[in-house]
Formats: sequence, structure tokens, C-alpha cells
Amino acid sequence: MKIRFHGRLAQAIGAEIDLDSVAGSCVRELRRRLAAEHPAAAATLEDRRAVACVGGAIVRDDHVIAAGDAVEFLPPVSGG
Amino acid sequence: MSVVARLEVEALKPDRELAALIQRAAGDGAIVSFTGLARPRSKSGQAVDRLVLEHHPTLTQQSLEQIAVAAAERFDVNHVWVVHRCGEVGAGEPIVFAGAASAHRRAAFDATDYLMDRLKTEAVFWKREVGDGGSEWIEPSEADHADRDRWG
Repeated sequence: MKIRFHGRLAQAIGAEIDLDSVAGSCVRELRRRLAAEHPAAAATLEDRRAVACVGGAIVRDDHVIAAGDAVEFLPPVSGG
Repeated sequence: MSVVARLEVEALKPDRELAALIQRAAGDGAIVSFTGLARPRSKSGQAVDRLVLEHHPTLTQQSLEQIAVAAAERFDVNHVWVVHRCGEVGAGEPIVFAGAASAHRRAAFDATDYLMDRLKTEAVFWKREVGDGGSEWIEPSEADHADRDRWG
């Protein structure tokens, strides 16, 4: 499954990665997995203000990801 | 009532936005507008050549619209106007235009103040300052959050 990143997360991880065995995980589990695999992004991923977006909508950490979902992680926004 | 909330990829021309708002506000008694410019210095005093504003393909526009609509609903204004740049903005160039038109001035002042406090903290952008010190991500300051919190 492709996971997209923005801002400083894209800088640390890449704008998009392909990850296996994501469907069935909740956002919290995916967040921890990504933090373990990408230590440079761990602090941002563990920041409560960083949110996941599935299918264009911000979701909670207990949201379970389904096959085919478009998953993105957004670091804290800078504002305008 | 009308609400304009636009993400601008090209150069922002505040004079044109204000002229368009004045034209829209025929019959009103007051227009207040704010233009924000990209600062040429970082908080630590380093020279900044440009700001880079990354945006989300859908959520950024949504955030501009939500903030503009909230201002229109909260204050006694007839028109709200928000235009925000994305992409690369050179130091000294306009980055945001926010304005409101109302029958009497206070509502337009308050709405514009509110627009900017929310835009500064909630608009979905990821900003980097690029200059002598390299490239640095920036986030809202404590003062920005305190300004936002004034509105509840």
C-alpha cells in the first residue's frame, strides 16, 4: 500500500513509500511502525498534532485501515 | 453575503484583491483588509531569501474555506475575502490577503483580525524558510497561538 507524506515527514521519509501488510492495522500501529523504520521522522510521527488522513479525511488513531485506502500522514501545520 | 477563499499559485496582487472587494462591497460602509508579506529575516536573524509553502491537494483549500465561512458567520459582515499564496514566495512579496466588508467598521476590523489569527495557526500549509542558514521548517509561535485563543 502506498503511504504519502507531507512537509517535514516527506523530507525525512520521502513523499511516498510502498508498505506491505498495512490493511487491518490501525493508524496508531502504522504510526509506530513508521517511527521504528524511520527514526529521523519518529519525533514528528509521535507528535499528537501530526495526523493521518484516509481517503481525504482526517481520522483518529484508532481508525482501521482497509485495503485500497489512500493513507497520508500530515505533520503539524505551519499555518499561513 | 459572499465568501471568497482562494489558494493562489501565482503572484498575489493585494491591490487587485482590494479593488475586487471594494467592487463587491457596494452598499457597505466599511472595508478592512490585511496584507501579509514574507519576512526577509528569520526569528533568529538569519537572512531569508524565500518562503516555500507546501500545501495539501484538498485540505488546504478546505481550511481556507472553513476559516472564511466561520468569519462570515461570526461577525456582522457582508463579504469575506481570503487569498493565500502557495509555492515559493520571495522575501518581501505578498503571502496573504484577508479582508471583510460590513455596514459599520467594527465588524470588518474584528472579522479581519479573526481571519488572520486563525489562518496563522490553522491553515494547512507546511512552511520552510530558505536562506543563508539553509532551509528550516517553521511553525506558529506561542504568540500566534495566544492570538488564536482570544477567539475561543
